[in-house]
Amino acid sequence: MAELDDDSDAPILSVQAGSDGAGQPLIRIAGDLDISSVDALREAVGAATAAAPEHITFDLSELRFMDSAGISVLLGAARDVPGVTLLKPTPPVKRVIELTGLTDVLEVRS
Amino acid sequence: MKPLRWRSRVDAGEQPVQETDGGASHPGVSERWRPSGAAVAALLVGLLVTAALAVTSLVLYHHNERRLLNLRVREVGLVLSGASASVQTPLASAAALADATGGDPARFKAFLAPLVGTGRQFASVSLWTPGASRPLAVVGAAPSPAARAAVARSAGAPGSLEILNMLGAKHPSLGFEYRQAGPGRRYVVYSENPLPANRRSRLESNSAFADLGYVLYLGRSRHARDLLLTSERTLPVHGPTASEVVPFGAGAFTLVVTPREPLGGGFFHALPWITAAFGVLLALAAAAMTDRLTRRRRRAEGLAARLDELAAENRRRYIEQRSIAHTLQQALLPATLPQLAGLRVRAQYVPAQSGGDIGGDWYDVVAVGRRQALLVIGDVSGHGVDAATTMALIRHATLAYIAQDHRPGVVLGKLSRFVTGITRDYFATVLCALVDIDGHTLTLASAGHLPPLLLDGERGDYVKLTAEPPIGFPHGESFREATVSVPPGATLVAFTDGLVERRGEILDEGLERLREMACREHLDDDLLARLASELTSDDHRDDTALVSIQWQS
Repeated sequence: MAELDDDSDAPILSVQAGSDGAGQPLIRIAGDLDISSVDALREAVGAATAAAPEHITFDLSELRFMDSAGISVLLGAARDVPGVTLLKPTPPVKRVIELTGLTDVLEVRS
Repeated sequence: MKPLRWRSRVDAGEQPVQETDGGASHPGVSERWRPSGAAVAALLVGLLVTAALAVTSLVLYHHNERRLLNLRVREVGLVLSGASASVQTPLASAAALADATGGDPARFKAFLAPLVGTGRQFASVSLWTPGASRPLAVVGAAPSPAARAAVARSAGAPGSLEILNMLGAKHPSLGFEYRQAGPGRRYVVYSENPLPANRRSRLESNSAFADLGYVLYLGRSRHARDLLLTSERTLPVHGPTASEVVPFGAGAFTLVVTPREPLGGGFFHALPWITAAFGVLLALAAAAMTDRLTRRRRRAEGLAARLDELAAENRRRYIEQRSIAHTLQQALLPATLPQLAGLRVRAQYVPAQSGGDIGGDWYDVVAVGRRQALLVIGDVSGHGVDAATTMALIRHATLAYIAQDHRPGVVLGKLSRFVTGITRDYFATVLCALVDIDGHTLTLASAGHLPPLLLDGERGDYVKLTAEPPIGFPHGESFREATVSVPPGATLVAFTDGLVERRGEILDEGLERLREMACREHLDDDLLARLASELTSDDHRDDTALVSIQWQS
């Protein structure tokens, strides 16, 4: 029955919502972000964008892995919020951002 | 992906697994209670052990009682034997006095008077000369008529206390005779004590021997005619006895004792029964416990079997669901691929390994005129029916835009506007490539999609392509296009990210792995299948699509 139990090897994802110096939302994502863990981030983003902020920052300095599921959440945020900044992405995540053409629409700051 | 839905299915379709605790029967089936074999065995073993312990304890008790009784009878015998001195001494002294006084009756009477009478040591004491028919002197009651004959008959050794058997007389009594030893000693002193008619004489309750019953016989026999005294109502004595022949003067008594109460104390008497009672209780408790454990084990085994069944059922349903998902997926992918002269088109789709949901990957190859074809490959984020529906929508919209315009950048631009207008929940990466067979060129545009691999003999390179944001994100008119020329016989391999993405590594590592393997492999019909099986991990969570287009000249 192990093959049914996808939760057992689910990546450890930590999502912490806070705010930056200017009082705008800052979401720190750490761990592995993929289809099985993306809901936690989706909820945090939903809560942060509900207040219609001007800007939202994602701290990716401790995010080790991200796949297209994560990309879609970041894109969703970018569509709803005028300014989105991705802070300090790790090399694997930075490469995904580049290869999927997100550098055109999201500000990446190292 | 929601692979754990099986739980709700269990609730809906299956009998509940729970059984009422404590009740051994199945719901709705009344079953007579029967103890388990193990419980009966435990009870039997417990009872056997108990019986063995109780019997051992009983045997030890009896052995001990017997030993104590033997000790007691010896003790009583010693006391009794010691009492001979208290009879002999006054009689011997009286005889000596008679010798010294020449048989003076007055002195004799004066000497013995304190010892004779009711409640005193003797009932009657008399002084005789051997062979005389009358006593010289009498103190207390007159000696019984039989005494005369008895004294005359007596041939007891001089200087010792002789017991005379007066039991057969009308008024049975116990007589003692003492005659002086030595020459010139001519007096015999005779004492008599009447015996109770029924010979019963109880020991005083404060006596050291109150815990014993006794029977005292005259001489060495245990005949009823020799019975002297007893504490018992009926003879012979029931129960354990111990006997001892007690020397008394020149004669002897036979003493038989029987315990009136346990000599070792009440506790040891009760011990076998206490052992038995506790043992039976323990055996019953052990049996009950065993029964309970046996039932629990059976119930656990039943549950385990039931869980196995459920697991098998779930596995079956899961496989069934996967199969349905796979069938549906196949229905959403093109049934056939166009085969244009000079171009070999192949495709492969691998569903996600974990879970039975439908993925969002798709591809299309559409002939544009006779010498051109448009390749579309894409990946809608997410899984499930909604993602698949969005995928079908995007796929058909793409086919419609291709019918209007076959420039990749324009097709993607129109698609982006369309998708942005209809959904907020899904994004799609799409690669669109226009293949010119005769011109040996490729014109590509990418909406966030990974670049395709171009294989030329043993060389392989990713097409240099600047990706723009995925479909679903607001975008300008059309996407940037790149055109590359293709060497004769080259092969283009386009794919979705499930093929190269692995947790814990940079995407470039996966891309490099694919490039190396594709360069090594032979470019035959099974290439895509081999790439897919080799490069997707055993538990890949993402589905994967691959399309290859090979120029045959």
